[in-house]
Amino acid sequence: MKILTVDDSRAVRMLVGKQARELGLEVAEAEDGEQALARIAEGKYDLIVLDITMPVLDGPAFLAALREKGDRTPVLMLTSESKRSIVATLMKLGIDDFILKPFKADELKAKMLKVLKLDKVPAAAPAGGAAAAAESAVVAPGSATAGGKTAVDILVVDDMETVEKRLRTMVPAEVSMEGATSAQAALTAARERVFRLVLVDNDMPNTDSTSLMRQLRVVQPQAGFVSLSLRTVSRAQEESRAAGFDGNLFKPFDTAGLEELLQRYFDNQELLVTKENVLAVAPFHGRENKLPGYFSQVGSLIPKAVDGLAAACFAEVVVDITQMPVILDKTARLVLQLAEHSRRVGLEMRLVGSPELSKVLKQLADTADVPVFASVADAQAGKLGPPAGGSR
Amino acid sequence: MSSAAPPPAAPAAPQGRLAAELEKIVTKRIASDQLVLPAMPAVALKCLNLIKDPDFSLKEAAGIIERDPILTALIMRLANSAAMATRDAAQSVLAAVTRMGVQKLRTFLIESSARKVFESRDPRIVEASRGVWEHSLAVAMLGRDIVAFSNAGSPDFGYLAGMLHDVGKPIVAAMLLEAEKAILGAKASATWIDSGEWIGVVQRVHRQVGVALAEKWEMPEPVLRGIRDCQEYDNSDRLSIANAVRFANALAKQEGIYVGEVATEDNDALVMVGRSLLGLDEETVTRLTANLRDKVKEQLS
Repeated sequence: MKILTVDDSRAVRMLVGKQARELGLEVAEAEDGEQALARIAEGKYDLIVLDITMPVLDGPAFLAALREKGDRTPVLMLTSESKRSIVATLMKLGIDDFILKPFKADELKAKMLKVLKLDKVPAAAPAGGAAAAAESAVVAPGSATAGGKTAVDILVVDDMETVEKRLRTMVPAEVSMEGATSAQAALTAARERVFRLVLVDNDMPNTDSTSLMRQLRVVQPQAGFVSLSLRTVSRAQEESRAAGFDGNLFKPFDTAGLEELLQRYFDNQELLVTKENVLAVAPFHGRENKLPGYFSQVGSLIPKAVDGLAAACFAEVVVDITQMPVILDKTARLVLQLAEHSRRVGLEMRLVGSPELSKVLKQLADTADVPVFASVADAQAGKLGPPAGGSR
Repeated sequence: MSSAAPPPAAPAAPQGRLAAELEKIVTKRIASDQLVLPAMPAVALKCLNLIKDPDFSLKEAAGIIERDPILTALIMRLANSAAMATRDAAQSVLAAVTRMGVQKLRTFLIESSARKVFESRDPRIVEASRGVWEHSLAVAMLGRDIVAFSNAGSPDFGYLAGMLHDVGKPIVAAMLLEAEKAILGAKASATWIDSGEWIGVVQRVHRQVGVALAEKWEMPEPVLRGIRDCQEYDNSDRLSIANAVRFANALAKQEGIYVGEVATEDNDALVMVGRSLLGLDEETVTRLTANLRDKVKEQLS
């Protein structure tokens, strides 16, 4: 793809050229509108990056001449002019976006990609260029998103720097982390990067942590938000949930609380695998005291997945819990919750599990009528096997 | 509101001339510093003065607010609203004030005072005033978030400047009604000037009146500048409250929360420039404006 940068400043042309080349684009230059028209007469461009004030033929006059010829090449204005009347006139002539000088390289790159509709990588892009910038929205930590934003696992917002440092020593090295010691620093970080989990201290000076969390959520809708509070704060969990946080973590951190948090936000994909309308729950690995956390995670993941299937217009959901440990009260509660949720969204739930599961469910009045299929294939075919334990 | 010496009666004048007469009266009052601006309600003023002292007593602030039953009802509702997000209901004004903190309390007092300015009893402007108030709330909310995300200063100042950027409009409207009555006497309702011209007069002079009111109410300097300078973007001071309010104003208009005609192309230009000026990407702006109308309605209810 080829771009033409039209500006009487050599420095600006060089800067634009550098950024464009980093995206794998070819670049040509023109010092004014007249030169630009000559270049365009020689060959076609995919994008013109245009200044307004230039000698010989200025930006608006060049643009008018270009459009009069029927040339609809996309134009990105790069100018120090912000007067509404001038920009409105340019919009009437057909500009695609606008950048005010002085500008940041990131803004220029993002807008060039957007105007060029580069969701896909140009074939000639060098490594680390458009290829990295145009990745999909689902990103690995440390990589760049479509908007050029870097993905980071955790943002720690606390006025005490030691909090982030302490946390850094307690979480696995592969979990990336960033700290912000003020609300402003947090907002800046949130604008520039994508986070999976944001921890917000609920006692920062001159900061309303609830308001800050809400503002951060605007630009980080995908992230989980957890408040940080001292153990002495009574009912911290309830208060933080009432305020709109997804949970609370006590300071000083303890290993169990942190493990549960990391498991909830960073191990989810392994716990539940969705394939078409089949949800398969992964087996439990770990110490017995982690079992409640495992059930709680599964309990929170499945309804979301069921909602997704309902939205995709499936009529049934097959839930395969064959590999889940069977524990009377926990399993029954999960099955009940799941059946109720599926019913609410209009899906028929078909449960796949072991004969032991079937036996356990039959012991309780509320779950006795829940059919258990022996395999996913049976569930999909609606074929129930012989009654569990032969007592049916 | 005091009235100026009525100009010579001109019942037969064309509407354009009448509008010009009205504008002349209003601008003369502004120029000669004879504007009679709404005073801040006594309770709000007293409480605002109290909280200027860093060692003020919350109990004393609560005691002042309790003297005004409407203010009391409003603060109790706000403190127990979803926006404050608490589990247990505040049972007293003192609990409400404690929960809100000084910044929110200050904003609440100014907002409740400003709201009164937009409440007109005259049926001819009651709807328009309500619409301008809705627009002002939309600009206030966006102004706060834009200031926060662009690091342009205190988000509270962004909120206040956005809320007050059009506060001159209802005041000028009321002045026009009064001036027209002085010119036309009892025939006023029959020969009411063309609404387009009437809006034109309001548009041309409201800003000065709004700034005068903000000065009278002793708004902080960044808020004053935010109201006074929000007509056109200022490139030399990119991250300013005024630029944030200008941008918020354009976004609110784009969302259709505005009374009057919007020149769409001009407004789109303002949005395009504002994004780059304040360094906000399209995605962020889209999120800031999502469900804006619902948020305004929620705040109004």
